[in-house]
Amino acid sequence: MDYSKVLRNNNKIVSRTGGQGLGVQHNSDLSLRFVLSGNERYDIGRRHLSIYPDSFLILNRGTKYSTETDAGDPVQSFVINFDQQFLQDFKECWTFGDEKLLDKGGDAISVQPEFSETIYPFAGDIRYNVFHLKQHLDEGMQDEMLINEYLHHTLINYFNIYNDEVYKKAEKLDFLNQGTKIEIIRRLNLAKEYMYSNYNQNINLEDLAEHACLSVNHLLRTFKQAFGLTPHQFLIQLRLKRSLMLLKDTRYPVNEVVSMVGFECPSSFIRLFRTHYNITPLKYRQSA
Amino acid sequence: MLVTVKTIYQMKLKYIPVYTADFDSQLNFYTQKLGFKVTGTMTFHEGRESTVIRSDKLNVALLVTNNDSLSDKSNIILNTADCLNDYHKLKTAGVFFCKSPAYLPAGLVAEFMDPAGNRFMLLEERNYNE
Repeated sequence: MDYSKVLRNNNKIVSRTGGQGLGVQHNSDLSLRFVLSGNERYDIGRRHLSIYPDSFLILNRGTKYSTETDAGDPVQSFVINFDQQFLQDFKECWTFGDEKLLDKGGDAISVQPEFSETIYPFAGDIRYNVFHLKQHLDEGMQDEMLINEYLHHTLINYFNIYNDEVYKKAEKLDFLNQGTKIEIIRRLNLAKEYMYSNYNQNINLEDLAEHACLSVNHLLRTFKQAFGLTPHQFLIQLRLKRSLMLLKDTRYPVNEVVSMVGFECPSSFIRLFRTHYNITPLKYRQSA
Repeated sequence: MLVTVKTIYQMKLKYIPVYTADFDSQLNFYTQKLGFKVTGTMTFHEGRESTVIRSDKLNVALLVTNNDSLSDKSNIILNTADCLNDYHKLKTAGVFFCKSPAYLPAGLVAEFMDPAGNRFMLLEERNYNE
């Protein structure tokens, strides 16, 4: 369903189906960008990022980008733009006010998260809230107070994700300086965004390390420390997770799914799938 | 005069909390005398686990929680498909919320009071393992 809704406080929500390439655009406000089906490619400077339904992208105010979608592949995208003042009010509320907001984050969250432009997992509370909001808007709901309530909670969810994905992971790193830890995590997240975007290609470690601005050794050591997985294991898990979506939501034959998610050999895919989920891909599809 | 309001909420009664200072004997009473079965655990109050017990004949489950002070806890847990929506609409209708929506391991929860001060919990259960 297509619409573009500007609220009285200048928050803006855009829902779009189908895709065509758009020229270079200017992100006028901080935005959270979701893809509910298909995938969308964003070119931001030298970075080429793809968002799929299991991830979302944050773009800061003023970022230049262009988007592209594969022809023939229907894309459903959903974008929330946050007005500067709304964001400022939220940050004050988060830092000084409502103690309840801080409950979940524990001690580490007393520092204010940044909006670093990268891809984050689209799961858990943020997913529930965005889907509820979209359903209301699709049904024509006009109550701006309620829409803003959802937007407020989307920001709470983002701050919690940031807490989980950055601060908690940084704690696991073996460095003394907190600033160094955060910087390393920021670079490791670049490695992750590279894998999120190129998961179905042959990824070599040198390219991955270059994208993350780390040496290969440094990348391998710190990635494992922070996430408990090697980049290769992370990639395999990502491919398997995305194969679940394809098996459930599309009718591509299993052999085709294998190559779509970047595996070369069907038998090793089936073996990995079975070890991981205790079910074969075919049986999973039948039960889904 | 009794005024009925057209309901726009999707709330339903799903859990009844039971608080006890002697958890084991309370649980034994339900399972051995009343025929309830333990079906799992849930966390509604930070740091405190509740045991879910069900009986074949009932649509509502009991939540047995070990707790020394019995005051200040909700007596009724209402389930909703969309907590923020119902919270907003109830609040607009003048219902007093003592806790605005917050995230717990069980999902999104808000708490409101009736005029006599009885506490109700409005719960949207969420599955975080998907």
